[in-house]
Amino acid sequence: MDFEPKIIVFCCNWCSYAAADLAGINRMQYPHNVWIIRLMCSGMVHPEFIMDALSQGADGVMVLGCHLGECHYRDGNYRALDRSDMVVELLEDFGYEQERFHLAWISSQEADKFVEVVSGMVNRIKKLGPAGG
Amino acid sequence: MGRVLNIAPVSRIEGHAKIAIHLDDDGNVAETFLHVQSLRGFEKFIEGRPAEEVPRIVNRICGICPWMHHLASNKAVDGAFGVTPTPVGYKLREMCQVMAHISDKILHFFFLAAPDFVLGPDADYSVRNVMGLVKAAPELARQVVRMRQLGQKMLEGFAGRAIHPVAGVVGGFAKPMIEEERKELLCGARELLDFSRYALDFAITDVFAKYMDAFSDLGGIKTGFLGMVDREDGSLRLYDGKLRLMKHDASFVDFEGDDYTEYLAEHVVPWGYSKMVYAKSWDEGFDMTLTAPRGIYRANTLARINVCDKISTPGAQAALEEFRSLFGRPAQQTLLYHYARLIELIYSCERTIEILEWPEITGSDVRAKVVPKAGRGVGLVEAPRGTLIHDYTTDENGCITSANMIVGTTHNIAPMNMSVKRAASALIKNGVYSEGILNQVEMAVRAYDP
Amino acid sequence: MGVTAAMEWLGSCSGCEIAFLNIGEDLVPLITETLDLVHAPLLMDHKYFGQCGEGVTLEIPDAVIGIVTGGVNNREHLTVLRQMRKKCRLLIALGTCATHGGIPALMNGQDQQASWQAIFKTVSTDPGAEIPEVEVPPPLDRVYACDEKVKIDMQLPGCPPNPELIAELLVAIVEGRSPVLPGKSVCDTCPARREGRSVVGKVKRFIENVEFDPGEPVSGMRCLLEQGFMCMGPVTAGGCNGGEGVPACISARVPCRGCFGPVRKNGNQLLDMMNGLASNGIDFKSVVDRRSILRFSGAHGRLRPLKKRVAKE
Ligand code: SF4
Ligand code: SF4
Ligand code: SF4
Ligand code: FES
Repeated sequence: MDFEPKIIVFCCNWCSYAAADLAGINRMQYPHNVWIIRLMCSGMVHPEFIMDALSQGADGVMVLGCHLGECHYRDGNYRALDRSDMVVELLEDFGYEQERFHLAWISSQEADKFVEVVSGMVNRIKKLGPAGG
Repeated sequence: MGRVLNIAPVSRIEGHAKIAIHLDDDGNVAETFLHVQSLRGFEKFIEGRPAEEVPRIVNRICGICPWMHHLASNKAVDGAFGVTPTPVGYKLREMCQVMAHISDKILHFFFLAAPDFVLGPDADYSVRNVMGLVKAAPELARQVVRMRQLGQKMLEGFAGRAIHPVAGVVGGFAKPMIEEERKELLCGARELLDFSRYALDFAITDVFAKYMDAFSDLGGIKTGFLGMVDREDGSLRLYDGKLRLMKHDASFVDFEGDDYTEYLAEHVVPWGYSKMVYAKSWDEGFDMTLTAPRGIYRANTLARINVCDKISTPGAQAALEEFRSLFGRPAQQTLLYHYARLIELIYSCERTIEILEWPEITGSDVRAKVVPKAGRGVGLVEAPRGTLIHDYTTDENGCITSANMIVGTTHNIAPMNMSVKRAASALIKNGVYSEGILNQVEMAVRAYDP
Repeated sequence: MGVTAAMEWLGSCSGCEIAFLNIGEDLVPLITETLDLVHAPLLMDHKYFGQCGEGVTLEIPDAVIGIVTGGVNNREHLTVLRQMRKKCRLLIALGTCATHGGIPALMNGQDQQASWQAIFKTVSTDPGAEIPEVEVPPPLDRVYACDEKVKIDMQLPGCPPNPELIAELLVAIVEGRSPVLPGKSVCDTCPARREGRSVVGKVKRFIENVEFDPGEPVSGMRCLLEQGFMCMGPVTAGGCNGGEGVPACISARVPCRGCFGPVRKNGNQLLDMMNGLASNGIDFKSVVDRRSILRFSGAHGRLRPLKKRVAKE
């Protein structure tokens, strides 16, 4: 049977979630493997959320925020960027491949970019196989 | 094939084991096994760890003798990093180690073994235990609890923790002793020494006098012995020394721990997780047959009391002389493990006092300079249960690349199996057995304090 | 007659049992009056298969209070744990092995099969030895905390737990009140002097002793983390000092290694520690062997075998 990964996508309310919404309104196709969790800002994604998602059955985790400089809380996405360095490093400590995490910036109008990055992620994780394995 | 009696768990011992007695069609003992049930993999999961962290990981191998693993490990890391602990650091470690022997021996003799003797091996299981002891001999029980606690509190007060210690560090010790601590420890150690003399007297009159004849042969086997002795004068040592491997005819060889693989090897059986250590240097292989054992020796208290030429402290030396005049050297009766344990209890108290009276013990130079590096180190101590060997190799970063451990109990796994067989075959005849009889089989194991 | 209690050890080192015995003078009334022990392999001779070993199914008597120590590493542990759950009204997981996996769960970070094979092929084992498989309980795929396998009513972590807290827990249960247990971190109970910043941006290995004046109490010593040693006090549940006094390791002038597990039951000691270091301007990459920060809490899927980096396409 083909492996259908489960991808958790943390979106910030102001940009990336709006982009996902727009993709929906425009009836753009994107993989059904994606589970979106809306937060106010990408800066709110504590590394623990990411590790917990992986240890509880997700195969990959994405954090999508506003472009740098456009965060509605000024520097939330900078904090997300700073942390991502640590997250990537710690993923290995927790026994996961670094590819299981992905950070990207998407403005509220970039529905096509949203589809592109989540599809890319789904494809990469399909190749990688399940996280629990 | 007849039935199988499963004595599980073996109780009032400090580890996980079960005894299976296979009876033939006539109800006589066909085969017996002491199955060791647990395996955790410490040798492997310390790989990659910075070596200086390992002494505070491997102490979790055993919560009853954590100081032994802690210090054997520290000695192995000293070796790998090529550091020699400072004299004060060395002595502080040794003091903690002998002190840990004190509480352990009180625990084993009085909490675990004594109920068989004080209440009798055939007493009902619901009272044949320390709770029953409290009811049968309340004064003794209170005293025992207090003394054991005193030993633990002394260690905890000085070294922070009694169980799973942290104060031994590569290069020596984490903190010096101050004068106040010294005085307090001395006071406690003297009290413990008084108690240890009382304990031996109690055991001689109330236990051995009553039971020695009846049980002189319980689980009796004839084997060699392994234990640590002083490099110069062959006296009993627990923390540091050379090893002595004695045959049953009392001839022996001495060797340094570093060379352990030339003298000892481990036999693996498919029916138990514990390896069985045997004397490789005797060149006779491994065989647990009762009539013609090969390669079998024993470790732990009786072994140490047998292999040493003397004991450096007066009270224990006097007790050793009396012991030898009664039982010879080497003494073989399994129940004498208890006797030997109480002699060592006196030694441990006396040695603690000796160290505390050493004028430089309060010195501040407790830890040598340490530089992590590649190397190999073998660390040995005598644990209550036998010679403990930790053997580590490190990389240039000072992290563990491989580790091998020979744990005290494993020396006695083969002899315990033999003692069980011996005891069961002697006691169970034509299908007749009882709870009391099966408990006596367990008593043969309990003596070894596995 | 006291309240019936059963004790069992799973993948335990017996240290938790020794901590229980270290309760001290109160131990005697506790085990003879307050509690009525019906099963406890370290202390008494109740057997699984009947006192003469003739039974075929493992049985533990009914008890009001059940205490289990150790993690769940093999099939027998699982059988015993389930039997305890069935027979005990209130089941307590005692010690960090039982609550978070403890040291034996370090095995979860490795390939278990390969490790076991290697253990039976060392410089001192006979050639050709294989992993024992007869009459020994087969291992589970990894080491589990008790609450991953059965419902646990109360937890008391610690490696080992503090004896005073064990006594408090048991007495409180018998008296029908809630036990008074510390809920804060080790740092919250530590008197070491804090100045609010670290002296260096890196952590050093514990290969030199900390700086302190032996004649002075711990309150005169600078916080070990601020001295540049990795001290896990901030991410570790307090209690090793029994609720008051100096944390055990700190009193020996040695940094904390987290043996009481995370402050919040589901906390993640590694993540929290790295976060803490990073937010204090300490380079988290200077920690050698970060994974061993999970050495006490590697169950619950926290510690897993290393995955190598996949080559970039
Ligand atoms: S928690 Fe610690 S003391 Fe208790 S069983 Fe586990 S290793 Fe031993
Ligand atoms: S980091 Fe360590 S030394 Fe500092 S306050 Fe916390 S427990 Fe105490
Ligand atoms: S200081 Fe930390 S490692 Fe030491 S006993 Fe307390 S909780 Fe455990
Ligand atoms: S609001 Fe979008 S990243 Fe902060």
